[in-house]
Amino acid sequence: MRYEAPETLDAAVRLLSSATGLTKILAGGTDLLVQMRTDVVEPEVIVDIKGIGEVRHIGEENGGFRIGAAITGAELEEHPTLSKIWPGVVEGANLIGSTQVQGRATMGGNLCNGSPAADSVPGLIAAAATATIAGPNGTREMAVEDIMTGPRQLAIAKDEFIVSFFLPARPANASDCYLRFIPRTEMDIAVVGCATCLVLDGSGKITDARVSLGAVAARPLLVKECADAIIGSTLDEAAMAKLDAAAQAACKPITDKRGTIEYRTKVAGVLARRTAKTAYDRAKG
Amino acid sequence: MTAQSVEFSVTINARPTKILAHPGKRLSDALRTDLGLIGTKVGCDAGDCGACTVLIDGEPQCACLTPLSHVADREIATVEGLSADQLAPVQEAFLRHGAAQCGICTPGMLMAATALLANNPSPTPDQAEEALSGVLCRCTGYRKIIAAVCDVRDQHEKRLMPSAGHAVGAPVERLDGRQKVDGTEIFGADYRPSDALYVHVIRSPYHAAQFKFGDLAEFVESTPGVEAVFTADDIQGENVFGVIPPFADQPALAKDQARFMGEAVALVVGDQDFLTAMDLAPFPVVWTEIEANLDPLVAQTDKAPDIHSGRPNNVLITGNVKTGDPAAALSKAAHIVRGEMTTSFVEHAYIEPEAGSAWVDGEALVIQACTQAPYMDRADTARVLGLDPEKIRIIPTATGGGFGSKIDVSIQPLLGLVALKTGRPCHIVYTRSESMASTTKRHPGIMRASIGADTNGKIVGMHFDGDFDTGAYASWGPTVANRVPVHASGPYKTPNYLAQARAVHTNGPVSGAFRGFGVPQAASLQETLYDELAEKCGIDPLEFRRINALQDGDTSVCGQEMQGVGIRECLDALVPHWNAAKLAAVEFNRSSTTIKRGVGVASCWYGCGNTSLSNPSTIRLGITADGRLLLHQGAVDIGQGSNTVIPQICADALGLPLDQFELIGADTALTPDCGKTSASRQTFVTGKAAMLAGQELRRKILRMSNMSSDAVITLQDGKLTVAEQSTTREIKLDDLPSGEHGYVLHAEETYDPPTTPLDENGQGKPYAVYGYGAQMAEVEVDIKLGAVKVTNIVAAHDLGRVINPLLAEGQIEGGIAQGLGMALMEEYVPGRTANLHDYLIPTIGDMPPVQSILIEKTDPEGPMGAKGLGEHVLIPTAPAILNGIRHASGAKLTKLPALPHRVLRAIQEAKAPK
Ligand SMILES: Cc1cc2nc3c(=O)[nH]c(=O)nc-3n(C[C@H](O)[C@H](O)[C@H](O)COP(=O)(O)OP(=O)(O)OC[C@H]3O[C@@H](n4cnc5c(N)ncnc54)[C@H](O)[C@@H]3O)c2cc1C
Ligand code: FES
Ligand code: FES
Repeated sequence: MRYEAPETLDAAVRLLSSATGLTKILAGGTDLLVQMRTDVVEPEVIVDIKGIGEVRHIGEENGGFRIGAAITGAELEEHPTLSKIWPGVVEGANLIGSTQVQGRATMGGNLCNGSPAADSVPGLIAAAATATIAGPNGTREMAVEDIMTGPRQLAIAKDEFIVSFFLPARPANASDCYLRFIPRTEMDIAVVGCATCLVLDGSGKITDARVSLGAVAARPLLVKECADAIIGSTLDEAAMAKLDAAAQAACKPITDKRGTIEYRTKVAGVLARRTAKTAYDRAKG
Repeated sequence: MTAQSVEFSVTINARPTKILAHPGKRLSDALRTDLGLIGTKVGCDAGDCGACTVLIDGEPQCACLTPLSHVADREIATVEGLSADQLAPVQEAFLRHGAAQCGICTPGMLMAATALLANNPSPTPDQAEEALSGVLCRCTGYRKIIAAVCDVRDQHEKRLMPSAGHAVGAPVERLDGRQKVDGTEIFGADYRPSDALYVHVIRSPYHAAQFKFGDLAEFVESTPGVEAVFTADDIQGENVFGVIPPFADQPALAKDQARFMGEAVALVVGDQDFLTAMDLAPFPVVWTEIEANLDPLVAQTDKAPDIHSGRPNNVLITGNVKTGDPAAALSKAAHIVRGEMTTSFVEHAYIEPEAGSAWVDGEALVIQACTQAPYMDRADTARVLGLDPEKIRIIPTATGGGFGSKIDVSIQPLLGLVALKTGRPCHIVYTRSESMASTTKRHPGIMRASIGADTNGKIVGMHFDGDFDTGAYASWGPTVANRVPVHASGPYKTPNYLAQARAVHTNGPVSGAFRGFGVPQAASLQETLYDELAEKCGIDPLEFRRINALQDGDTSVCGQEMQGVGIRECLDALVPHWNAAKLAAVEFNRSSTTIKRGVGVASCWYGCGNTSLSNPSTIRLGITADGRLLLHQGAVDIGQGSNTVIPQICADALGLPLDQFELIGADTALTPDCGKTSASRQTFVTGKAAMLAGQELRRKILRMSNMSSDAVITLQDGKLTVAEQSTTREIKLDDLPSGEHGYVLHAEETYDPPTTPLDENGQGKPYAVYGYGAQMAEVEVDIKLGAVKVTNIVAAHDLGRVINPLLAEGQIEGGIAQGLGMALMEEYVPGRTANLHDYLIPTIGDMPPVQSILIEKTDPEGPMGAKGLGEHVLIPTAPAILNGIRHASGAKLTKLPALPHRVLRAIQEAKAPK
């Protein structure tokens, strides 16, 4: 196993394009090291991206935020303004593992590990975040919801990697929320995760919404029907019931040790309601 | 593998250090193997347990997830850096509060706490919980750890050691505590003889399979780093082991046929680095999977082939107890309830995976490993290797939790085989997955019962029937089958009773001993049915239990006349808490629609020691010519505290102060047999032997000095002084001839609890001493999600005599945490949950505050009146929680664990019109 630590995007892309055997990006390593230990993956080359400036940068940009792919959940939380503006995005990232894991686990790794239950992904999707992807032909942009295509499957090529995420400028009277359900209090993988981002008008009517569900299908979903169910409402019970039903209808879960199909579907509806309520209250301020 | 070693500069514990290693090497590995800093523990190697927590630039991180390349030029702090000559205040606080039991999680806890305290010297319990939430502890139930972290002070009164005659009852800090908090304790993985060969085990990937090896010699020849391969053909003794010798049936290495997933079939021996990195796919073995039998009910039908010949229908053994005429009693009962309960495999999930070393020392084979039962290890290893037991020396390392599973041998015969065959020292460390896949579990139970009461709410009869999945091999299956019928009545007067329990073979993991031997499973059914029956009788559940509680002079379902019965006192102690909690729940539920609160209660009783079988302990105590007082204490302390409790008892029996005792820990070459640490027997059985030995030595001293039993003995400056009123006599120790074992004065006493065999109806005296308890759980149920949160537990336990309240509380809290796990989340599925990521045990946030109430209803047989406690404490927890869930939400659970989806379904069923 060869270990490389490039310091520029170009150098990293060059390593990725020239490698012949299995090559893996290393960010925090919280997934990769475990998979290597249990022989799930046995890379020939490891490309550690933590030395590249762009992937470690976090800051405001064009009224929005640029978050490097190798920023950890802990660093996200420490940012002075981010959690006020995008509380749901930070909530998602902060639910990844324990304190000890949060200090290492990155947003890029969480997405690129390709787990349908990844906690930071629904928040990014609901926030309409895009990813900047570096490859042999320079960089390109992609909506976060389009990146994961299935369990451990991504729409980025072998010689590409994610440099950063961009959270667009947040409108006034808007906020977001992420909730997940797990059977124990902490340190567990989501049975269902849900992020909701809402924009209200001055009277408290919802003018725009994005709802994303995790762990209920082969990849995190952006559920337009959920948004449609509540846009135009003030989140009265009728709208809530439609939201609940739309979330349940969008689920294509599996039964596994963490929950049955029937149960996951129900929980998706409940979490859609609860995240909408919290995001709504936050947006009203 | 290309060697791409790089030199890294790091600062470790303020000392600049260089490490030459592969950049991808894990920090945990580099610390332990390259730098010898074994204080950092590895419990999972996957980020799940937090035992490896170190500080990197002040931030707590998992060393097992950190590649060396990420720590270049950074500052690392490990447990070794916390203290120099003096312990740090946080370490002192851990000792003061009894926050370390087995101690394997302690370094990780201490480092996480250190990071918190650096920013926040007086945290609140919530802040402490948050900061420590990434570290798992399986022993303590976390509450003492939280208390310690919230009570770190620079100045504190050092708790004085009790004076002569006052050791029993004193909250003495554990005597073996210091090495648990300063990182110097040696657990199984922490000592590795230099140039030891590493042992890697090849295991069955199937529940059931036949297998054939290919050309093993060629494999060894062609694979660099591999020195040898051993299989069943290399075993010279009888290739079976088992904790109950007449039932021994488990091969150390399976031959031709594997009966469960994870069973060991071969050993690959060689260089450690190489073996851990090696791809073992080319290992020459051909598997033929055969249909597995995983259902204990199907296993008993003709559809399933017998897993062991001579055990028709896969029934290993049936236990039963019968008294009176239960059929008639139930048919005449005014109220009757019937129910079923199914429970799951439960993994012990101690944070220390099995590990140890072996070597040949002259004539002797030495095996140093974590264990609960050194003498049994010796017997089983001798049997497998065809050696005289006297030729084997078992040195237990500190054991990082056992809870029953480390009674059965695991690595011992394997290590012994390699050391004998190669003549070289060898070392093995199970991975987390190996540990979980290959060692024993709690028996899943499929149980049915009917219980009847008269119009006054008095129990008139009970019928219980249970099938217990004992897995592929016998292990403790017979004990479960025998214990369950004896205990399934609960601590209640049950005049008409029939109980049967079968231990049934499947191709599941081997079920063995786990705190309670089947009794917690049975109690989950009986105690929940009691709530239903109380409801039918129109009586409050706590009152219903008080009405039926056994009392002194009553006979048990085995016909034993009971003495020292403390269940009524335990239930009485709960009354004020129960009343307050019920009122609070009503009040809370009035305004809360989604979250509903409930309160549940359950009791336990548990016989201490082996069921109707001899299980002696022997304690040796001696004084040397130069005035040292040595206690040979062979009871393995797996965190439960026997290294402290046994000396406390002995000290008061002898009449010398506790701090004069030097402890000689368990070692088959140095300590007489104290049996296994299980069945809640050490405080009672070994404690009684220690009391007898102390009393005997005292008698000898008094006789020599011709003084009465009231005399005061002191040991100082190489002489014994015996004083009574105005007379004082001295015994100069170096004037005395040195006798047996090199002592000038010594005593050795054996105690074996008086029991009688059970007849064909299970009548007799199965145990000499029983302990009792009752717990009350307050729970909150999210009725939309089926999620359950336990918010408070009050636990009243009758210990007979409290030897050490600090340690007793620690046992209670730890047992409750395991009971809570069994109730709400723990379900081991072979092949799917063999890691701590998917097998969930309670974290710090799951554990509610616990109020312990210690009751002392003196036992006529136990030492100074004491009873056992270790297993009792987890029996009532699960049923109390289940009763609380039903009280809160109406949900009646018939399968454990009460996972949210099961609870939600049960809530809906309860709401559905019948
Ligand atoms: C104990 C524990 C608990 C956990 N709990 C949770 C949890 O609660 N919720 C949750 O969602 N996850 C959880 N995880 C999973 C894990 O921590 C996250 O997925 C984490 O965010 C991964 O980030 P990383 O930087 O460690 O990724 P790495 O392990 O470094 O990489 C993960 C994968 O992504 C690829 N990759 C990394 N960065 C990039 C990039 N920029 N571009 C392209 N590919 C990239 C890697 O090649 C690798 O395949 C847990 C893990 C552990 C060990
Ligand atoms: S050993 Fe690192 S978290 Fe378990
Ligand atoms: S003391 Fe925490 S695991 Fe044993």
